[in-house]
Amino acid sequence: MKKTTIVMLATATLFGLSGCGNDTPSSSEAKVYSKTATEVYTQSCKKCHGDNAEGIVKKKAPALNDRQAGELELDLYDVKNGGTNQSSGTDHDIMEHNMQKLLDKGYDYDPKAMAEYIEKNFYKKDAPKAAVKIVKEAATEVVEEVKAVEVPTEVKETTEKVVKIVKEATTEIVEEVKAVEVPTEVKEVVAH
Amino acid sequence: MLKEGMDIIDAHFKNEGVSRRDAIKMFGAGGAAMLMGSGATTELNASSSAVKAKILIVGGGLAGMSTAARFANSLDNPDITVLEPTSTSTSYQPGQTLVGAGIWEASDVTYQRDNFVPSGVTLIKEKAVEFDPENNTVKTSGGKTLKYDYMVIAAGLKLDFAKIEGLGISDTITTRGDDSEVRKVVGKNGITSIYFANGAADTWTEMQKFIASAKSGKKVKGLFTHPNTPIKCGGAPKKIMYLTDARLREAGARDNAELTFLPNGSKMFGVKEYHDAIVNQFEARDFKWNYRHNLVAVDPVKKVATFNRHWKEKGAWDEDLEEYSIVPRSEKVEKEFDFLHITPPMKAAEEIANSPVGSAKGWVPVKKETLQHVKFPNVFALGDIAAVPMGKTGGSARKQYKVVVDNIIALMEGKEFTSFYEGYTVCPLITSIGTVMLAEFNWTKKPTPSFPLDPTQERWIWWLLKVYALKPMTQYGMLSGRA
Repeated sequence: MKKTTIVMLATATLFGLSGCGNDTPSSSEAKVYSKTATEVYTQSCKKCHGDNAEGIVKKKAPALNDRQAGELELDLYDVKNGGTNQSSGTDHDIMEHNMQKLLDKGYDYDPKAMAEYIEKNFYKKDAPKAAVKIVKEAATEVVEEVKAVEVPTEVKETTEKVVKIVKEATTEIVEEVKAVEVPTEVKEVVAH
Repeated sequence: MLKEGMDIIDAHFKNEGVSRRDAIKMFGAGGAAMLMGSGATTELNASSSAVKAKILIVGGGLAGMSTAARFANSLDNPDITVLEPTSTSTSYQPGQTLVGAGIWEASDVTYQRDNFVPSGVTLIKEKAVEFDPENNTVKTSGGKTLKYDYMVIAAGLKLDFAKIEGLGISDTITTRGDDSEVRKVVGKNGITSIYFANGAADTWTEMQKFIASAKSGKKVKGLFTHPNTPIKCGGAPKKIMYLTDARLREAGARDNAELTFLPNGSKMFGVKEYHDAIVNQFEARDFKWNYRHNLVAVDPVKKVATFNRHWKEKGAWDEDLEEYSIVPRSEKVEKEFDFLHITPPMKAAEEIANSPVGSAKGWVPVKKETLQHVKFPNVFALGDIAAVPMGKTGGSARKQYKVVVDNIIALMEGKEFTSFYEGYTVCPLITSIGTVMLAEFNWTKKPTPSFPLDPTQERWIWWLLKVYALKPMTQYGMLSGRA
């Protein structure tokens, strides 16, 4: 009984300590980086990940322009730290190795700043959406135009006119879609 | 009695060079409040908010229910709905290691959800199956469409035993809830896992057989795995190994058992100080370990586990990198076992991963400091489902739920965010029956001890903290939104 009481007192006291709400102070000072995210990207990253972070298949380097900063930062964090769990390892086995080499060469960066830089300059997530939207709108227009054409049943001319409108509109759509800068695989999907 | 208790603590801290004055300062008033049995209420919001909004919380486990409680405490006119289908969702998961080693009973960690629904909060006993964040609606398994102003996703994660071949398991499970398919094979024949509640109870049954076998003079082998996915409670795969070791020693049978840790990664801990401490502890206990081994198959009849062993080899010179490139290599390795503890691969539920609120990897992508969704400003996530580095522990959720509630209230009131998560995680690493290393750390990857004591040491006081204090703190402090 007595022993139990002592144990409870000791733990209760500890409980008080844990419960007193002082958030753990950050033990590190803000790290200073010798290069900006822009400098690191343009001097190193882009060689493999591409001028617009679109990825280069030949270099086995994935696109970085398909994620927003919050999500990308987690990946960069994983790469720089060799995983974020005790013993799970990393999702980026090869890049983790390369990253250490690049850090040795002075290409160190703040993951948050780098993620924001890439999103601000290259993020294309909405590109496929925008392309689809253009196609849809254009297609609707075509349909409306076709509907608007009064078709005197026997007149061949009118039919030809309709076909022409559709063709022109379709060409326009294709041009518009082409004009949108999207990664190749997205283009394929849209074209499909 | 109070004096005796204090004397014990005094003596301990004196050894560490901490004076009573400092100790009292550290303990603060919270300790006294607890001693009076009134529960520490130090974290309660000083001011309540009169702003009205519809808040939907997806998931009523520790993270979701604590969030609901803090909202209920903080809002004058709460309109809070929690979606949670499992009746024991508020159970105490951190206790499952202790159940697995026979220190606690299964009933010690089982808590009924319905006893933890804060007053003023609506509970719907269904799960979210469709997310439409563009229109602020969620569809439930019962066919309801719920509209929200703010949504908090705290749906936890799924255990993916199906990814391991040979077990005959086809679907994912959660820690609580229907586990019948998994339990047919895990928890039998020396194959165990403390990661689901019934599995933890079965682990103790199987561990006793393993120990009896060693005691009978047979040379036995125990394997302990760690998968290639993020996992909740990163320390548990090791804790159950330490406890198996402790039980074998207690039985005087340790010499007959070979215990091997087989993680997918290549270190014990992301924080160097803790990594080094664990390696020393492993050596002192004569543990074996092989990094870069990922469990891919189990033959329950032959008792053979197959691992994907992977490594890197030097490839061709890469001009862009100005380094030799790296070529990944791997091979299958078979290992016999008498006792196998599986830490299963873990993932986000499909209905979240494949929805607009999910990400390529499944986890809900949030800005890691504010816990706000990267795409939808009125959506937040916390706990195991959030794509936050290192954050899948109850200790992290304890910091996160306050950040989520404070930031949503700030949004509701049109104010700036003032609450930020720093990545705090705590792993009370049980190293034997009676000792724990209290590994606290954050994104700086440095130890961030709450106490002025060397955090790499195993201590009995942390055992007391783990075994006696953390559960009441969680079940009655955190789940009521106060600690």
